[in-house]
Amino acid sequence: MSAIAQGAIQACPRCRSNTVAVRAVSPLAGVWTVYGCDTCFYTWRSTEPETNTDPDQYPAVFRLAAADLPKLQVAPAIPPLQAKKP
Amino acid sequence: MRAYQDFREFLSVLEQQKQLLRITDPVKLEPDMAAASAAATRLGNRSPALLFSNVAGYQNAQIVTNVHGSWANHALALGMDPETGIRDQFLEFVRRYRMFPGQLERVTSAPWQEVVIDKDINLFDIFPLFRWNHGDGGFFIDKPCVISRDPDDWTNDDVENVGVYRLQVKDRNHLGIQTVPQHDIAIQLAHAEARGEDLPIAIALGNEPVITLMGATPMLYTQLEYKMAAVMQGQPYRVVQNEKGLDIPYGSEAVLEGRILARKRQPEGPFGEFPGYYSGCHQYPVIEIDRVLHRKDPIYESVYVGRPWTELDYLQALTTSAPIFDQVNATFPEVQAVNALYTHGLVLIVSTKVRYGGFAKAVGLRVLSTPHGLGYAKVIIVVDEDVDPFDLNQVMWAISVRVNPAGDVLMLPNLAENLLDPACQPSGMVTKMIIDATMPVSPDIRGDYGEILETPVGTDVWLQKLEALTKELRK
Repeated sequence: MSAIAQGAIQACPRCRSNTVAVRAVSPLAGVWTVYGCDTCFYTWRSTEPETNTDPDQYPAVFRLAAADLPKLQVAPAIPPLQAKKP
Repeated sequence: MRAYQDFREFLSVLEQQKQLLRITDPVKLEPDMAAASAAATRLGNRSPALLFSNVAGYQNAQIVTNVHGSWANHALALGMDPETGIRDQFLEFVRRYRMFPGQLERVTSAPWQEVVIDKDINLFDIFPLFRWNHGDGGFFIDKPCVISRDPDDWTNDDVENVGVYRLQVKDRNHLGIQTVPQHDIAIQLAHAEARGEDLPIAIALGNEPVITLMGATPMLYTQLEYKMAAVMQGQPYRVVQNEKGLDIPYGSEAVLEGRILARKRQPEGPFGEFPGYYSGCHQYPVIEIDRVLHRKDPIYESVYVGRPWTELDYLQALTTSAPIFDQVNATFPEVQAVNALYTHGLVLIVSTKVRYGGFAKAVGLRVLSTPHGLGYAKVIIVVDEDVDPFDLNQVMWAISVRVNPAGDVLMLPNLAENLLDPACQPSGMVTKMIIDATMPVSPDIRGDYGEILETPVGTDVWLQKLEALTKELRK
């Protein structure tokens, strides 16, 4: 939590949403923190390269725009609801 | 043939056989796990499993990779001599496959019930999760056995399913799951979603090695993987049934119980996939985990997926070849063997006796009409029975001298193909090809084939003798 509070993690590296949460900290204190984005579900560890952790250095080819997420292909398709079976 | 009680027993056997390497040097989850596992795949036919026990940030985590990652380990998984060649492993795999079905043995408790977590679940705290490839959308559990039943036929054991599906850990107790429409679990999920109900599932991690192979085998919907595992190991397959009625392997390290949430989709991916390219990002189903059970200090197993060959290619090698062989051979008993080792059978080699001119091309067409052929097999090479399809030197020789492209290459446009094949145009469609690398026989009179060179009398005897002598020499 502290990293977010201190402003070290402000946005998701992949979709730049501000819906970032701490998922876990290392059992041995202070080694790493895992963050996750509640919008695009990108996950990263604080000790990974900046191309995984910094929105400005995250590779363009893997970036996503939050507005485009609902347009992603749905698989498998959701079937029509049936009438309740006895 | 041998039945391993659990994952740890198999790891012990690998270690006894010098097929497991303990890595006690400090490692970081990224990038060391991927780098070391990728390197292990380059060690050849005796590549060992890797057991990491000094992981940055953990007191006592253990991670094992490359468990099935060589022909030696694959043979040991099947209870065979680690020196067994690919063709002999194939023939034995098929022999056991045809003994289906075996039996289930239901017992009431298993070692994975030692620790139970049913509140404040945080998967990131329980397992040492990590990123495999740089562009992956997150940390994936990629070697699980996912167990489910059909909501429209709940008590029918034969349609219970065990499958290996990739799972993206989304947050503390949610996973994404890839269930492409061809997968059995997609049928069950569709039945649950049509009812508006969640689909109960169990996810077994760190499994004895045979059930993982069975979970990766494209069997028929009505064939239960546990009953195939039983004939593969020569004993009834031991499971524990949970409260929902799902049968879970006795020999697993950990079990996640939960539900695929009805009619819900979320962004998932990308993930470095079996063709050696990243999959895209899709809206995939979501799993909520309600309970986690595990052995004390569970050993976490994962499989590296990169540019082939990797451990994944061993997992889907004979498990892909055997069902195709079984189905094609049922129609054409002349078919001798099927090699679907390459990228889950996107390229496939069939050896067959040839009854008359044009016969081999019909065999190639039959491969394309098998269930796996419909969505994967794209380039089919048909060779004569005197060519071992698992020996690429022999296959290339056959293509060299028995193919005249003018009459031996069939192009079949616009056939169905798996979405993950990056060559598709458009996605899901591709042109397929049959290469007839058999020697023309009457009434196909093409070519100018004289007498073929024979193998000297006594070669087989000498081969056995020389193999024994060279083994002695290297001791």
